[in-house]
Amino acid sequence: MSFLAPLFFVALAGLAVPVLIHLIQREKKQIQQFPSLMFVRRIPYKSVQRRRIHNWLLLLVRMAALLLIVAAFARPFFASGNMAAAGVQGAREVVILVDQSYSLGYGDRWAQARAAAYAAVNGLGPSDRASLVFFSTGADIALKSSVDKPPLNAAIAAAEPGVGATRYAPALKVAGSLLAESTLPRREVVLISDFQRNGWRGEEGARLPPGTLLTPVAVSGGSGANLSVTSVSFVHSTFSDQERVAVTAAIVNRSMAASKGSGVTLEFGGRSIQSQSVALDAEGTASVTFDPVTITGRNMRGTVRLGADALLPDNAFNFTVSPAEPVRVVVADRGTAGAALHLTRAMAIGDAPKFETTVREPDAISEDDLRGAAVVVLNDVTVSAALGRRLVRFVESGGGLFVAAGPRAVWPDGANLLPATLLQPVDRTQGDAGRVGGLEFGHPVFEPFRAPRSGDFSVARFYGYRAVKPVEGAQVLASFDTGTPALVERRVGAGRVLLWASTLDLSWSDLPLKPVYLPFVHQVLRHLSVYAQTTPWLTVGQVLDPAAGTSRGVTPSGRVALTPSGHRVPLDEEGADVLPLDETGFYSVRSGLGDAELAVVASNVDSAESDLTTMDPKDIVAATLGAPTGVPGGGTGLPQTREAQEGSQRIWWYLLFAGVLLLGADTLLSNRLSKS
Amino acid sequence: MSGNPSAIPGARFMDPVVLARIGNLELVSRAVCDGFINGLHKAPYFGASVDFAEHRGYVPGDDVRRMDWRVWARTDRYYIKEYEAETNANFSVLLDISKSMNYGSRGITKLQYASILTACLTNLVHHQRDRVGLVTFDNDIVDFVPSSAKHMDVVLHTLERITPGRPGNLTVPLHKLAEHFGRRGVLVVISDFYEDPEVIVDAVTPLRFRGNDLIVFHVLDPAELEFGFTDAQAFEDLETGEQMPVVPDALRKEYVELVKAHTEALQAKFSEVRVDYSLLDTSKPLDHALYRFLSGREKRLRSR
Repeated sequence: MSFLAPLFFVALAGLAVPVLIHLIQREKKQIQQFPSLMFVRRIPYKSVQRRRIHNWLLLLVRMAALLLIVAAFARPFFASGNMAAAGVQGAREVVILVDQSYSLGYGDRWAQARAAAYAAVNGLGPSDRASLVFFSTGADIALKSSVDKPPLNAAIAAAEPGVGATRYAPALKVAGSLLAESTLPRREVVLISDFQRNGWRGEEGARLPPGTLLTPVAVSGGSGANLSVTSVSFVHSTFSDQERVAVTAAIVNRSMAASKGSGVTLEFGGRSIQSQSVALDAEGTASVTFDPVTITGRNMRGTVRLGADALLPDNAFNFTVSPAEPVRVVVADRGTAGAALHLTRAMAIGDAPKFETTVREPDAISEDDLRGAAVVVLNDVTVSAALGRRLVRFVESGGGLFVAAGPRAVWPDGANLLPATLLQPVDRTQGDAGRVGGLEFGHPVFEPFRAPRSGDFSVARFYGYRAVKPVEGAQVLASFDTGTPALVERRVGAGRVLLWASTLDLSWSDLPLKPVYLPFVHQVLRHLSVYAQTTPWLTVGQVLDPAAGTSRGVTPSGRVALTPSGHRVPLDEEGADVLPLDETGFYSVRSGLGDAELAVVASNVDSAESDLTTMDPKDIVAATLGAPTGVPGGGTGLPQTREAQEGSQRIWWYLLFAGVLLLGADTLLSNRLSKS
Repeated sequence: MSGNPSAIPGARFMDPVVLARIGNLELVSRAVCDGFINGLHKAPYFGASVDFAEHRGYVPGDDVRRMDWRVWARTDRYYIKEYEAETNANFSVLLDISKSMNYGSRGITKLQYASILTACLTNLVHHQRDRVGLVTFDNDIVDFVPSSAKHMDVVLHTLERITPGRPGNLTVPLHKLAEHFGRRGVLVVISDFYEDPEVIVDAVTPLRFRGNDLIVFHVLDPAELEFGFTDAQAFEDLETGEQMPVVPDALRKEYVELVKAHTEALQAKFSEVRVDYSLLDTSKPLDHALYRFLSGREKRLRSR
């Protein structure tokens, strides 16, 4: 018989309680008056105190009840023999997982983690094998299945906290694969970490082989304020024809210690531009807005930096700022006054992106116009064969073409560019007007309208539209209520063509008067111009954007990435373009030939790692071992932990039940005795 | 047995609790004593007032009228003939009315029992034409009824209205009384005697100095004798108010032994000073006390 919580037996001192009740209770019941205590006083007081137990049965029942209840709380169980036998024999395959995230730099956590790793290594037997895995956002195997302790200790000594965030799942998966390859009879995982809650998002598919013993070793401690810059935001403005940007930094105090007057500095190009002071309460937040700064060129490298505190890596936040680049749109209009009014007005609104519009008559569109444009809009015009050929080349080179097919739209036969063949106009002035339905919400053009109350196209009435017949390879994105395609897309070369089977003015529909008109036009132009907002920063663990340094589908050959530490990493020319960010600072993408800077990517630590809130390691144990109580092997005949054995036997329940029964009997018995 | 209409049949052996409920001490005492007297042999106690006591040699100054001439005629010596005192005797009861006497575990307190006893004795003595008196005391004299043939009613009235109030002390009041009782008589002391035997004897003995006959009744409740309590509880001294946690079962044996030793010590010490001592249990009928009184008196008469 063993006990899971033997300390509860201290409560056996409570057995004295019923004895005291027996001896004391009646004394307080009433006062007996007596003529004289002359003789009572002469009897030595000790003998008075030595009172006799009146009812041994009552006493025994009470003591037995207490004994049973205390024993129940001590969680007794019968230890099975196979556990000891199976638990101590055979060599071990041990995987030591050491958390290398930057939060380990808080206080002396890294020293604790290192000491725990040393202890795990030194605890290895002569026939044991150990693998050493350092993990943060990802997991790196430092040493695999080694029997020698010196290399393991050397690897531990050489390691330092990185800039990654804690992620347990990759490390546990690596451990699982290492153990799965092992032939040794016993498998163990030692998980050394500060067990931040942010590092575990549920099971995440990390499973350890059956029979594995997972031992979590928690490191903790550290004190002092821990401020971090979690993000920055920008407000662009123009002053004296120069674009300026005002930077606002969000600052969070993750610790319980208040910070009084910490300095915040805005740097550009490594030089301090502005400084401010910020005071934060414990677990408080604040935002700091700097004065606008003139943007002098593309990819300006900015940093918001805090003063030193207990955890340094989250004190600097890097970002890049570039001048806003407008999307150039050429609108081919028939010249009628007001025909392109709604279209041009719609394009004039908005900053992200800003549309730079040029209106031309179809025959007036030059090669220069097309070379600088990202999108060409044909607003119900007749296209000549020459223009048609030039538009084919424009689209094939990556340009976007938006065709609004009204009553005057004519497309030359030789130019195979449109997604649908134009047929006769359909007159819906009689009877009900036409409506647009059947939107392809999965398409980028209609994706913003997917959610309810995000724009209703059915409110627009169409009194006329062109019947169209989609060509092969074209995709119908929207249809009229009769089933006739309303919007059809086709990819041609590197570019795209969208055909709208009605007008964009009020001649055939009232769509320009509807709220969906503006976002619809913007989405169409964004889609055709392949507009993507540049990300001012990335987080360690993310991969470098494959499109960094490319423009209009042109990928310079021989690109290299210059890491913040100065290493040159050639980007794969075959198109993989995957470079995981593992440093904080600025990655520079350069052309291999001229060494010209094509793009700059800012890299920051994951600010969630600054949150040092811990979790219960048992959650990880339960999730990875497949049993809620952390039973290794999940009951497959392999040794069970003491908790598991106790849980399966549940002796405490019977003891508690018996104790309660005895208490009931005690109540009945004492009631009967008191009545008698 | 007798034609006395006031006699209550069977009153002699009546439970003291029942007597206490009657309330009228005169009625109770008459009932008990009449029944008691009717059952006794009358001869030794009535009409014996001129009994010859002894001869003693003549000394100058003796009354020549008391000279026994017959003895002179036979022996030619002068002897004086002495007789038993013929006058009516003084009879006083000295009753302890301290707070401890106000205890009773079985329907009658020690004081009630002592009052009935006093009334009975007074009634008995009054029938013999003796003078009766009463003194009540606690730590001092409370009521004093001088001995008189006419004080029977006063005694009963005093007994009716006594109330126990103060803690008791034998020495002070009894020493005062010892100086007071100058004329020879019969004194009956009734108390629960919660003092050391030496102190009690020292307090009581002076009452004998002037030739008084002294009878001591030690009245105790059965609970005081047997200590028949079962529950552990706090015991409060009636006189001092002191409280003490007591587990009766644990000390009953020792307590009974102490009480027994106490009464035996009193018995022995009173015997040494020729004082009649009787221990009375309030659960027992009064007859025991009356027998004791009368038999003791008979002994004294014979011894003279």
